[in-house]
Amino acid sequence: MADLRFEDLVKHFGGVHALDGVSGHVDDGEILGLVGPNGSGKSTLINVLSGHYEADSGRVVLDGEDITDRPAHRIIEMGLARTYQIPRPFSTMTALENVSVPLMFGAEPKSPGEAREAAREWLEFVGLEAYADEPITSLNLHQLKYLELARALAARPRILFLDEVLSGLNPAEVNESIEMVRRIHDSGITIVIVEHLVRVVTSLATRIMVLDRGKVIADGDPGEVMRLPEVVTAYLGKRAQSA
Amino acid sequence: MRQRPWLGPAVTLVVAVALWFYPNLVDAAGWPIFYLLFAYTVFFWVTQASSWNLFTGFSGYFSFGQGAFYGVGVYALGVLVVKRGWPLLPTFVVGGLLASVLGLFIGLVVFRLRRLRGEIFALMTLAVAFVLGAVARISPTIDGGQGIPLSSVPTPDALGTHPQMIFRLGLITAVLAVVVVQVVQNSRLGWGLFSIRDDEDVAETLGVPTFRFKMIALGLTSFLAGLSGAVHALQVSYVTIEEVFNIRVPLMVILMSILGGTRHWMGPVLGALVVHTMSDRLNRAGLEAVSDIIVGALLILMIVAIKEGLYLRMRERPLVTAIGAAVGVAAGFVLGPLDSAVTHLAYTLLGAVLGAMVPVGRRRRPQSGAPATQTIEEVVGG
Repeated sequence: MADLRFEDLVKHFGGVHALDGVSGHVDDGEILGLVGPNGSGKSTLINVLSGHYEADSGRVVLDGEDITDRPAHRIIEMGLARTYQIPRPFSTMTALENVSVPLMFGAEPKSPGEAREAAREWLEFVGLEAYADEPITSLNLHQLKYLELARALAARPRILFLDEVLSGLNPAEVNESIEMVRRIHDSGITIVIVEHLVRVVTSLATRIMVLDRGKVIADGDPGEVMRLPEVVTAYLGKRAQSA
Repeated sequence: MRQRPWLGPAVTLVVAVALWFYPNLVDAAGWPIFYLLFAYTVFFWVTQASSWNLFTGFSGYFSFGQGAFYGVGVYALGVLVVKRGWPLLPTFVVGGLLASVLGLFIGLVVFRLRRLRGEIFALMTLAVAFVLGAVARISPTIDGGQGIPLSSVPTPDALGTHPQMIFRLGLITAVLAVVVVQVVQNSRLGWGLFSIRDDEDVAETLGVPTFRFKMIALGLTSFLAGLSGAVHALQVSYVTIEEVFNIRVPLMVILMSILGGTRHWMGPVLGALVVHTMSDRLNRAGLEAVSDIIVGALLILMIVAIKEGLYLRMRERPLVTAIGAAVGVAAGFVLGPLDSAVTHLAYTLLGAVLGAMVPVGRRRRPQSGAPATQTIEEVVGG
């Protein structure tokens, strides 16, 4: 069970309000789609929830426990893992070593030797076992995104934040990745997915939260939310709506 | 990286036990004392380079602090033993601990502030050595600008004559440093540091306690550097600020480690052996004035040609390395007369290095695989 709530999150970068009082919740077992135009604060929200950024104010509560000021390495231990929009593999390690790192830490840390063995199975899960001992420079973007997934899954998360896992992929790869997300979800992991491709999100998500300029402007059923006038305006601008 | 974490330390200890009796061999064979002092200096640089590599090579935080940590060790011995009359052996450890306190203090200041990374850390460690030098110069309780004579330090007889004792103390510290680095390299700490080096933010979000690991590594690094400095104080007869708190120690350990390779414990060991042997022979050949230029130029060439470091390259190309070394041995005989076994060692190392520099062919790529169809439950259960 995972019950994640966040209240009034504020994050500024200089004068920019990346998050301007964002509140919400992630329910157990759902696929929550985070959508919104560029710069609306979707990625910032993930960065704050995963502990990558510190919020200027606001609270993050997991299972009734305030985790706002926890360092990121404690947050993943509590079951919140994330991937990066642009894959960030450990560049001097092989694919296998990349996946073995999260296995050595967290709630049930393994020794480096045990971690290597366990990492092999996560590579198999995403179909990268043939690349286990290869340097990550031999992986293409699609494979690097799968490596990110394997690395996050190896931490045994209850909630997985996916930051634009589909961006930059060709249509066949997008379909394959959607299947992968479904498989991960089917195994009982709650998913929060940030995605640009609205059609993909509406088909995948069980609920959608729309952000615009650091504020939540809509939250609800995927089919309905995307038809709300304020959401259309946010995406297409005022004239398009009135036209 | 293979599954034998005990092998490295075991081999190191066996080699150490064998080397322990080397002074007896030198004595029995009537070889010059220089053979002991040369070996001691190699041990010294092995210790310093390994110690530097533990923190900087593994974590990627570039440190010029080696001179400061080493200097604290040297002066700890000078002040506490010569001026205060402390017993020798405990003071070695105190020298290491004092250096550790300094290292942890730097870490506490710099690592607390998330923005201060990379260059700032390097500059800060560089500044610390200069500040310490200045403080020692002003303060009469430390140095006061006079220097400290160390030739009168009473040494224990148990370890043999003075050169034999120096050799054995150097051996102990080098073995300690190498074993510590070996253990760290194959531990969670080591993998955590490697991940910090590659991408610290990602390491943290994947569960690596980055702050704690950097502090532990810096504490170990500075302890080993300080301990080695305290031992080295016995080897020099007169300590001065200018010779201790200068840029030579940090530069040498950086060159040695990068040349040998920073990812494997053997890198700094090999780098220290090669660099010290070469510069020693150039100095012997009466080329003191240009020795630094030649060594520097050689190092730049080698570092550019072998990015992964000498050790990993040699391991990948054992045949050409062995052939190169054999040619070096032969060249030593042909080019003789050999004044010293050290010269022969220099030829051998040079041959091996040049052999390893022969260009390497590309490895093949694997076939792409489709995602497997098992579920997460199967992965976890399996």
